[in-house]
Amino acid sequence: MVNALFIIIIGLGTAFLLGLLGNTRRNIAYVFMLFALTAMAWIAHSWLWIFTIDAHSRVDMFTAGTAPPFAINLRVGIVETVLVLLVIMSGLLSAVYMKDALLRLGYKSMSVLLVFVMALCGIILTRDVFNLFVFFELAVIATAGLLLLSDDKRALAAGFKYLIISQLVSMFLLLGIIFAYHATGTLNIDGMAEQSPEMLKGIGSLAFFFMFMAILTEAKPFPANGWALDIYESAHPGFSAMFSAGMAGAASVYAVDKLLLIGGQEWLPVVTVIGLLSFVAANLLALVQTNDRRTLGYSSIGQVGLILAVMGQQDILGEHYLFIAGGILLSHAVAKAGLYWISGLIQKRQLTDWSVLRGQPLLIFAFVSFIGMLSGLPPFPSFYAKWDLVMMLASVDRLWILGFILLGSLLEASYLFRWFGYILKRDIIKEDAQHLSLASYKLIVIFIAVVIAWGLAYLWGELSSYNNLLLAIPILFALSFLLLDFLPTWIKNTLAIAGMVAYFFIAYPSYNPLELIYAIIFLLGGAVILLASYYEKGRRVGFYPSAMLMFAGLTLLVMAENSFQFFAAWEFLTIGSYFLILRGKYSEPHALLYLIFSLAGAYLILSGFALAAQGMIPFSLESLSQVAQPIAPWVFLLLAIGFMTKTAVIGLHIWLPGAHAEAETDVSPMVSGILLKAGLFGLMILLMNMGKQQLYGVELTYIMLWLGALSAFLGNLMAVFQEDAKRLLAYSSIGQMGYALFGLALMNQLGWLMALMFVINHYIYKSMLFLSVGGVAKRTGTRQMYQMGGLIAMMPLSFIAVLIGIIAVSGVPPLSGFGGRWIFYNAIMASEYRLPMMLIFISGPIAFLYLFRLIHTIFLGQLKDEHRKIKEAPFWIILPQMIYVTALLAFAVVPGMALHRVDNYLNPFFAGQGLNWDGWTITSNYGYWSPVPIMIVIAVIFATLFMWLLFVNRKAQKVKQFNIVYSAERPYRPETTHFAWNFFAPYRKAMGFLIQPFVTRFWETFADLLHTLADIVRRFYTGNGQTYAVQLLAFIIVIYLFKVGY
Amino acid sequence: MVIIAMVTGFILILMGLYGALTNTNILRMIVSFSVANTGVNIVLVSVGYMHGRTAPILDNAVPLAEASTRIIDPVPQALVLTAIVIGLGITTLMLAYAYKLYETKGTLDISKFSELKW
Repeated sequence: MVNALFIIIIGLGTAFLLGLLGNTRRNIAYVFMLFALTAMAWIAHSWLWIFTIDAHSRVDMFTAGTAPPFAINLRVGIVETVLVLLVIMSGLLSAVYMKDALLRLGYKSMSVLLVFVMALCGIILTRDVFNLFVFFELAVIATAGLLLLSDDKRALAAGFKYLIISQLVSMFLLLGIIFAYHATGTLNIDGMAEQSPEMLKGIGSLAFFFMFMAILTEAKPFPANGWALDIYESAHPGFSAMFSAGMAGAASVYAVDKLLLIGGQEWLPVVTVIGLLSFVAANLLALVQTNDRRTLGYSSIGQVGLILAVMGQQDILGEHYLFIAGGILLSHAVAKAGLYWISGLIQKRQLTDWSVLRGQPLLIFAFVSFIGMLSGLPPFPSFYAKWDLVMMLASVDRLWILGFILLGSLLEASYLFRWFGYILKRDIIKEDAQHLSLASYKLIVIFIAVVIAWGLAYLWGELSSYNNLLLAIPILFALSFLLLDFLPTWIKNTLAIAGMVAYFFIAYPSYNPLELIYAIIFLLGGAVILLASYYEKGRRVGFYPSAMLMFAGLTLLVMAENSFQFFAAWEFLTIGSYFLILRGKYSEPHALLYLIFSLAGAYLILSGFALAAQGMIPFSLESLSQVAQPIAPWVFLLLAIGFMTKTAVIGLHIWLPGAHAEAETDVSPMVSGILLKAGLFGLMILLMNMGKQQLYGVELTYIMLWLGALSAFLGNLMAVFQEDAKRLLAYSSIGQMGYALFGLALMNQLGWLMALMFVINHYIYKSMLFLSVGGVAKRTGTRQMYQMGGLIAMMPLSFIAVLIGIIAVSGVPPLSGFGGRWIFYNAIMASEYRLPMMLIFISGPIAFLYLFRLIHTIFLGQLKDEHRKIKEAPFWIILPQMIYVTALLAFAVVPGMALHRVDNYLNPFFAGQGLNWDGWTITSNYGYWSPVPIMIVIAVIFATLFMWLLFVNRKAQKVKQFNIVYSAERPYRPETTHFAWNFFAPYRKAMGFLIQPFVTRFWETFADLLHTLADIVRRFYTGNGQTYAVQLLAFIIVIYLFKVGY
Repeated sequence: MVIIAMVTGFILILMGLYGALTNTNILRMIVSFSVANTGVNIVLVSVGYMHGRTAPILDNAVPLAEASTRIIDPVPQALVLTAIVIGLGITTLMLAYAYKLYETKGTLDISKFSELKW
């Protein structure tokens, strides 16, 4: 094994030797520098092999041939090796990336870069406090040197501010070191740690405090970190990458960790508080940033804060500590370096300027990988790490820490994904796009980071105590579409449909009846909707990976056995659907809203599972039934709110209308007809296992009942007043999900059957209606219903689909909607909740109002001039609709096909209040329902009336459109004869007060407050280096008062 | 003696800090930091000083056998030497930066260099 000292020796030696080459041979110097960095990386890498076999072993290397305390020793263990490798790799890649700048400034800049990397390695390896000081000073000097690589003139000021801060840091560090030496007689960290109990008394404690605060300052804690932000904003992005990944992420953090050996238990809470504060505050302030590099700086500070907070938990994390801290640290380092490198390709510095990346699918993939990594989304290491962390925190009741971590994560995801929205949706300025500098060596650096990111994702999956998410077949299937994205749409579509159907039949034997219904909807139902996608031409880049990711999540959700699998699947389907929704032309804000709500819901689910598990790994979903009082109702509450976010219960519904309405034609039915069911599935799992729960004497299912009724009522009411056909359908979904929620919350077998009936029905008719309306919108070029009219003759098949659809939704005989209602009324009679029941009853007729509009305003009335030559919707959009029509009719005749088995399956849970399924007739305690006779009766009546109509109309005379006169006037324009806009004005007068956008306003105000707060707090960073110094002193004093002084 | 040195050191540190935080002129700040650094170095030396002993140089005057009882602890001295060297490096760098900063704006007022903020 090569002595790790050579890492230092090679770095320092080459730095000096480069001087011999001079600036005339700077190309050679550059090659030498790269060679030296490669050699250093190779040494670190060779150690990695040893320590992966035995993670606990470590090797001490003595300088001057003596053991400490008489000489400095360096130590190499698994942590040091990984961090050193990280530092060197970030240095090497950045060196490649900064080729132009380094060659321009000559060999000196290369020497300084080597010194920087060497110093960071030294900080990580050394076990001597004074040596630590020396390496830190070297890093400071090198930083000040490397800042000059930037084209930004302001970097000079940033460098000076850093020098001021480092003066203070070195003072504190030196004073701390000398008094610590005085107290312990050694400079060795481990030596001090051994004497820690005695040392932390008297003057020794102050000495430790000084050293600790000095080192901690290098980790850039809020609020003493303005200087760091200025560096991040103005430095060369290549350097910022090294600074964020190497200096902040690896070296400073590990130095703090070393000092904690001395500080021990007593100092863990301090690190926790400072870390959490930095994490939440930095991510909050980042909300109002518009400069890309400064945003990344804030994010960097936040991530380091999170790592510090994790360090503060090492007393409970035990053997998981390295897995968790490492997962977060490496995710941060790789992602942040990658993002900084991407920022170097872009000329302008506003977040919105990143839209120039839009034409570059590979770079977009890189960006997504990086922000997914930072946000802790699966399958990246930070996901596994956060999961374990949250589980551990909940098991020891450190709930407020858990809460802050999730809050910070949510804030971070919000601005990162908002940024992603900018990339895909904001205008591209032509000249900027031409200035995108896509030098191949820069791209290679970025894609190496991407490969490392996914490699780490795989590694963490292997290391975790759960299944590797990257090896789940549905996920692999979804990811494989990334590689197939160059193929034309129809091939990919065929592959997707084939894959989903095939997977269903492979997995078929493993489903229980309940799961089977969901699996049919998710997989087969998804395949039917995908038929409509054949309509799309070209390559449709990005659609299939996103859609398949969503379906993979849904598939895994049904199969999930433990909480981890469930949550991972939940995250997958959330991300996939977010990407899908974002594809809509105007969906940028709506997709973001959807993601924020979904992630917030997901975090509630995560906390619920964590609270329920109490450290049990793995926690099977059935174990939810064994959760003890008094935490059971809290678990129930968290999970229920999480799931209800997905079903868009009233109050948490504001993301739905925009997201569903603005999505593409074939995406709307996917996210409405299919995705909403994921929330219901979760609720079913929850209720089935936890049953009724009481919190402070309040029956939680009773609240859900009310929420369901209110959602049904208000959702329908809001749908009535929509002009946009897709928005109308979207609001109607809120109402429909309300019915289903109501049914589940009744907590009797009939209620559940009704909910399932709604699950199936809603999938069929909502998918169908969204497709019909989407097809109409495609042809007419508008979604405003009042601009349509009289399309019945032009688009007869769409008309039939909508007609059948609204009959089914409204719940009148003979279609399956009636079956739903019938079970529903039985369910209500079997329970005692009369008041919410009234609301549900009222929502029925309200639904009729908006359904009527769909048929009246779009298909009946007067044909508009501009639509006279319109054609039927495209074949591929009509085809699934016709399949749905058939399915609705079939399901209306034989509902037992699906429900009978589920009824039997539910029997044990509700002690036999089920239905009797005798042949074609279904009997309950209150009556019976025979679908076939009903169908026959209706068909006979319909046929009779139709015949009669034909008979009396046999002599009717055909008239032209304007062969009418009213009010003594003859109309010339169709608009004047077709009353369509603000159709329900009288109802609006009567009931409009009920649908004032209170909820929207509430959330808007909330968001405004956050932004205002962030905007006020960030003014704290005045930009004056002297102020920063005062802030640092004040920070140190405040910490002293809190920790030591009281 | 030790006390006097230490008190002097701390007074210098506080004076230096005060100067660095109240003067807006960059050069004055650098000088103030130098003063503070000197204070730190004096404190370092004074902590390591042991009364009545001689400098830690092994030559004819101090035989090896008696060294451990007759010389003062060499470690703080070594630390001070290193700290002085590093302090010099940082001060030089700050002066170079001051020069460059002056070139860009024609002023040495630290508050004028605050375009990077928030």
